[in-house]
Amino acid sequence: MMKYVLPTLALGILAGYLNNSFGTSLLNTILSEYSFNLSLIALLFLMGLLFATDKESVEKMRKAKFRILAFPFAVALGSITGGLIGGIILRIDIFASMGVCAGYGWYTLAGPLAGQLFGLEWGALGFAVNFLRELFTIAFTSLVARLDKYAPIAMGGATAMDTTLPIIVRYCGQDTLLTAFSSGFILTIAAPFTITGLASITH
Amino acid sequence: MPSLLDIAALVIPLIMGMAVGYSLRGRKIFNTEKVTLGIILMLIFSLGFSIGSNSELLAVMPKVGLNAAVLLTMALLFSILFVKAARKLVKI
Repeated sequence: MMKYVLPTLALGILAGYLNNSFGTSLLNTILSEYSFNLSLIALLFLMGLLFATDKESVEKMRKAKFRILAFPFAVALGSITGGLIGGIILRIDIFASMGVCAGYGWYTLAGPLAGQLFGLEWGALGFAVNFLRELFTIAFTSLVARLDKYAPIAMGGATAMDTTLPIIVRYCGQDTLLTAFSSGFILTIAAPFTITGLASITH
Repeated sequence: MPSLLDIAALVIPLIMGMAVGYSLRGRKIFNTEKVTLGIILMLIFSLGFSIGSNSELLAVMPKVGLNAAVLLTMALLFSILFVKAARKLVKI
């Protein structure tokens, strides 16, 4: 599947770039909004359907119950710790570096919010770190899943509930659907609060 | 903040799919592999398109690339390690 995904992503980026320079905003709305949302909704429906028909996955989830909630907490803590260590290595403001990592991959939120709370240059970094997180998850899930089945859920962060979910489920197994979705869901809700919370400590 | 509508737009189709899947249990479903791949590619293309048309995002990348790479590497490394530890703790 990866041999189709990466070229398609590259083609999409190129088409978007060209459309931005020469095309119309109507095409942008159709693809970035309608086509994006429709395909996401269709995929979630399909993944839910396939999950429920797979007895083994349902049984696994029944046994795990609320223990799967450990995932988003671990990802949040891990991302913020990563921001702290990274900030120390780079000798930059550690609260701001923890803040940008607390976007958990949601770049359309982390970029503007970090810019507003920590200053413009942090907005750019917030955009970049989280955007690369999504891209990295799309590109490397197939490889990482071979080493650790649950690592792609950690990598995906908040995006594990939407854009990276189909790829995670495809490579990590049907039974990871609810673990990945719930982790992404909780991190999506947590992101604005953790970024604001970290900013309120020093700024 | 994600609006309630945004969240509902993702949760409702997932639950509907699960309800339909549950009622179809034991029955043979048509081959979904190709359909799923087709829709994934449509999603990825649309995602790429919205990234490519976001000139603000593309413009900042070269300026902050190195810092972003270091922060991302650390965030991913610790996320993976903490999830590993959490799985041991809750036995999943």
